[in-house]
Amino acid sequence: MKYALYAGCVSKGGCPELYPAATKVADRLGIELEELTDVGCNGAGVLPQYISDPINARTFAKAEKLGLPMMTICSTCQGVMTQANHRLKGHPAYREEINREYLAEEGLEYQGTLEIKHLLWVLFEDLGIEELKSKIQRPLTGLKISPFYGCYLRRPPEIMMPTPETKQRSTYLDQLIGILGAEFTDIAGKGKCCGFPILQASEENSLAMAARHTGEAKGKGADAMVTPCPLCHLNLDGNQHRAEAQVGAKIGLPILHLPQFVGLALGFDAAEMNLQRHIVPTGPVAAKVEMLS
Amino acid sequence: MQVTFDVYRKDSGPDAQPWRSTYDVDLPEHATVTDGLLKIRDEIDGTLSFRASCLRGYCGECLTKIGRGNRFACTARVAAVGASGPIVLNPVRVVPVIKDLVFDWDAFMWNKIKAVKPWLEAEDVDDGETVISDAAMKDLRKTMSCYYCGLCDEGCTALPEDFHFLGPAALTKAYRFVFDPRDTQTSERLKILERPKGIWDCVHCFEASEHCPRGIEPTERIIAMRDLAFKTGITNDRVARHHMSFAASVKESGWVDEGRLAVESEGLTNIPGLIKLLPTAMKAVARGKAPIPYLHPKRPGADRIKRIFEKGEQNAK
Repeated sequence: MKYALYAGCVSKGGCPELYPAATKVADRLGIELEELTDVGCNGAGVLPQYISDPINARTFAKAEKLGLPMMTICSTCQGVMTQANHRLKGHPAYREEINREYLAEEGLEYQGTLEIKHLLWVLFEDLGIEELKSKIQRPLTGLKISPFYGCYLRRPPEIMMPTPETKQRSTYLDQLIGILGAEFTDIAGKGKCCGFPILQASEENSLAMAARHTGEAKGKGADAMVTPCPLCHLNLDGNQHRAEAQVGAKIGLPILHLPQFVGLALGFDAAEMNLQRHIVPTGPVAAKVEMLS
Repeated sequence: MQVTFDVYRKDSGPDAQPWRSTYDVDLPEHATVTDGLLKIRDEIDGTLSFRASCLRGYCGECLTKIGRGNRFACTARVAAVGASGPIVLNPVRVVPVIKDLVFDWDAFMWNKIKAVKPWLEAEDVDDGETVISDAAMKDLRKTMSCYYCGLCDEGCTALPEDFHFLGPAALTKAYRFVFDPRDTQTSERLKILERPKGIWDCVHCFEASEHCPRGIEPTERIIAMRDLAFKTGITNDRVARHHMSFAASVKESGWVDEGRLAVESEGLTNIPGLIKLLPTAMKAVARGKAPIPYLHPKRPGADRIKRIFEKGEQNAK
């Protein structure tokens, strides 16, 4: 099982704890990764499509050339690139125009065959749950975890989950929490926006969203929240203290990256998963996990 | 079949407190929620207020929260929504209620539609007619099929936080004129739409598109207007600083310099704005995770990405 890894900007920038956690977890699960380094930012929903589609076509051409499917560790990267891939695969004339206009001078061509999968999808669809279960060293018994998918991994559903089998993707994170032995603590906002995309345009609304979702999980007794999206992490963890100040209430909910959560169940300790690098203190979660060892 | 309705009630007036009424009704299997409400009003409780008009799932008047989801009461079958217990009816989220299930459509949508100047401002032509190609109208015709049911606003993630956000329904209406080849006010329209509470307040979560029953894709329409604003020059200062910094670091290095993005989004001379960043920055430094602005290595292939970026900008003009 081998993938071309698209690491994204945030896993090495604002959330540098994510990249090493993801690669350690992949290694332990026997998921081989060949990182794409000579590729650009996918636009993250900020750059307009007339710029991001050609940049993404270049990325796809490079992964396609390796003959590997591409794996992401960020819901925003996954969402933006799945949508770009949908346009490029579905409209051969558009793809050819981009190949001719932007890629040909570098000797590249995107043929429209690339499959792109988030690590979360890889666990369920390629690795398989039985295989994952066999690698669990430390079931996270007693840990109450809320899922937070964010926007981009589930919508638009006709693009992100286009077949009857992939419809299951809307519940993978819910299922994973139980599979790893933790207690699933559901929240209504798990598929909503974390607020990060409008931090500049409307800071107040953005922080209100962060407070709403973390507050909901905290109110239901969650020890932590797990998210497959590092941009959600930036708002839910990094800005949680500002969200608290805005709503005038302490929340204090640790936010785990998906690979960190999996890693803890695979037997890595909290420090190996870089939990100490979060803005919201993760000590109580780490202590609970250590007691399970 | 015996059906129990559990209905939100509230009198008009600012001090009115909500309560709930429960009604047991005998209805045929094929009856809709609106059939049930009509029967309640006619036979049990004449004070119950709700909206109903076309009774065929078209006009959107009866948009109601039924159980956990938001539906048209006139197409929701009691056999389906009442199969496992009482049918719980509430007004849709965050909208001012006038009475019971009747909410304020003006505040919910019509005032916002009016705010985007929903009329064409075409140049006067000598023969009184502007002929445009069918191809040019094809995309717009899709947005013109909107019948203002409000489900996109109902699904919107941003509206519960800020009821004054224009919302996807009004912004889709705006799109219909922004991209009309006959309209002469494109840049003026964009200026209005770029103000706070407009296109940049959308979180592009695609909830609106998922909720639209006609496949009009409101989220994609908002994104298209943002892309057009990017092309013609963003006029919202805060967003412009953020987007231009984002674009500059991708252009120069292939990927995003997040430290630079944070400070440049506030503005390098905006001292209060930069001070506001300090607590987060200091926490990040203490955890060994603060990206240092401008200390940002180029990705291999950065020059290729820059070339694509510049070519894209050139071609879009």
